[in-house]
Amino acid sequence: MRHFHLLLIGLLTLMLGSCRKEYDVVEPYAFANTPGAGRFSTPVRQAIEGVYAVTEGADLFGEQVVLKWSTLRTGSDTLHYLSVFTADAGYFNLEPQPQIGGLSVAGYWRKLANTQTGLARLAVEVKRNGQRSAFTGKLATGDSLVVSGVYGENNLEPTKRLTMVYRRPLNARPFAVLAHRSGGRTSDLLPASENSLEIIKMASRLGATGIEIDVRYTKDGVPILYHDNTLNLRLIQKNGLSGPIESYTYEQLTTFVRLINGEKIPTLEQALETVISHTDLSFVWLDTKYIGPMEKVQKLQQQFLQRAAAAGRNLRIVIGIPSQDALDSYQALASKANTPVLCELDTSIVRSVNARIWAPRWTLGDQTPEVDAMKAEGRTVFVWTLDEPQFIRDFINQTRFDGILSNYPSVVAYYHYSEQ
Amino acid sequence: MTYLRTLIVAGLLGLLLSVPASAQTRRIRRARVPYQPTMADSTKQGRGPFAVVVSAGIGSSYYATQRGVAPILEQAALNKTGVPLTFRALWVPDHRLRLGLETGYVPMYSYKGVVNGQTGEVRVTAVPMLVLFQMPLAWLSGTPRSLMRRLSVTVGPGLYVINSKLDYMGTVKTSSNSLGWMAALAYNQPLGPRLGLSAEVKWYDAVAADDAAFAAQLHLNWRLLRW
Repeated sequence: MRHFHLLLIGLLTLMLGSCRKEYDVVEPYAFANTPGAGRFSTPVRQAIEGVYAVTEGADLFGEQVVLKWSTLRTGSDTLHYLSVFTADAGYFNLEPQPQIGGLSVAGYWRKLANTQTGLARLAVEVKRNGQRSAFTGKLATGDSLVVSGVYGENNLEPTKRLTMVYRRPLNARPFAVLAHRSGGRTSDLLPASENSLEIIKMASRLGATGIEIDVRYTKDGVPILYHDNTLNLRLIQKNGLSGPIESYTYEQLTTFVRLINGEKIPTLEQALETVISHTDLSFVWLDTKYIGPMEKVQKLQQQFLQRAAAAGRNLRIVIGIPSQDALDSYQALASKANTPVLCELDTSIVRSVNARIWAPRWTLGDQTPEVDAMKAEGRTVFVWTLDEPQFIRDFINQTRFDGILSNYPSVVAYYHYSEQ
Repeated sequence: MTYLRTLIVAGLLGLLLSVPASAQTRRIRRARVPYQPTMADSTKQGRGPFAVVVSAGIGSSYYATQRGVAPILEQAALNKTGVPLTFRALWVPDHRLRLGLETGYVPMYSYKGVVNGQTGEVRVTAVPMLVLFQMPLAWLSGTPRSLMRRLSVTVGPGLYVINSKLDYMGTVKTSSNSLGWMAALAYNQPLGPRLGLSAEVKWYDAVAADDAAFAAQLHLNWRLLRW
């Protein structure tokens, strides 16, 4: 009978302990999104970008960080954001504080590997002979830039000291930092859902120079952004609907379905419009998640490539070929002119379809001979989808790829820009 | 909602825990007199009897977890009640643990509203496919008329097929699978040598789909086989 009791206690523990714990991260800072850069003029912003040593706060953010500016256009206005990237998938999202004197920024920090977040307020100063003074955009010999201030946990008033001292400029080697699922995964509790217009606008602040987006068709043939095969609670708010997304028309989806953070599922056209109108992203990878004709995607690709060219934008939009089905769809196109593709398949297929980009899976290793051969033929070579910081560092330092696709573009940005 | 689930599980298992304790007390008392089994001893040779009992149940259910309604239909008319059906086959051996299979139909919830002049309706139902483990609260104690012998606890892990139906600018019927479980407490009243009636309260929980319902049912039990 004692064993029976133990069995029941164990069963009770198992049933109660197996309840799913729901994690959540609330962005602790409300952005004012004031147009313009305030006192952060272009030379000042350029001078601030760099690799910094962390002299206070290294216990949480590591001994070295990367500071980089990004922009977001809203109509005729431009918003400026300062990002800080750490080695352990941490980032700061900061905006200028024109109402405060000097060069001040405020925002929040976040660790993507857990739910840690908090407020941050920092100011940029010059350190000269041990004395700090306001930075006006010019540095004399012996001067060093210092970005310092306070940070806190969650919504609490920041009180802990953070000091970062300029060490060197960013690595200038061209390299593509590509963000998976338009910027990042919903499961990493970002402020915007994956494959939403909002995460596209945020991708640069997460370190990305380009994005990969997942394209599917609705029942009535509208190309939309959605990763999984089915409507499920990982990606959408609970609404009673389930099953393949291809079972629903766009009108049904836009009426009844909201992504986890409340956004509508965007069309591919809306996504490309957002890239061109609001961001400085230079690369868009249209991952083919559908099986079937490619014409509608090709038409949108060509339409927005023309718009980018007309606007003087250096923007590449490529259709991904990840499978034989996608290859068949591509080869069935009536015309392949002005249809750049990225091929994930074997190098012989890359050559046969004359794909300008080859993108093998990272688990295949460095593949240096194949990478060199592809690059010698004038092709670009990316690797996907690399999330482990140690591997990201090794691939950047020890291989010859031109870019990395990752769910953590902030980590790729950190290791790329800090590479010596 | 976790608390409600916790209370239900703890209540059912607490009841289970309390019964062995009282049975133990009675066994200590009985130790003063020679043991006289009142039912079949499962350790002796020539075991039995065994039986297969099939049941059909009907009742009322209440959707008891957070419902999801499309935000555009925030003023939607919501229905959280329904009539669940249960079909069950149970192997009733000469020992305490009974095993079985259960399926049926569980209405979860539905909502209806108007969007852009069009009526939209979503209906969510589930078909459970569960493996059952059932125990009477008392076994070699009391008499066949004892309350504890007629009360049983059932738990059943398994799969739920979640069906959803959307009526808005066309009809879309889809289904998805969700792991889940069921727990129930039943009182069984014999009506004859082969027939019985049970009153059962139960908790259906499709964990992955985050759908759960509380149900109260009447079951008609019929002994299909005996050997």
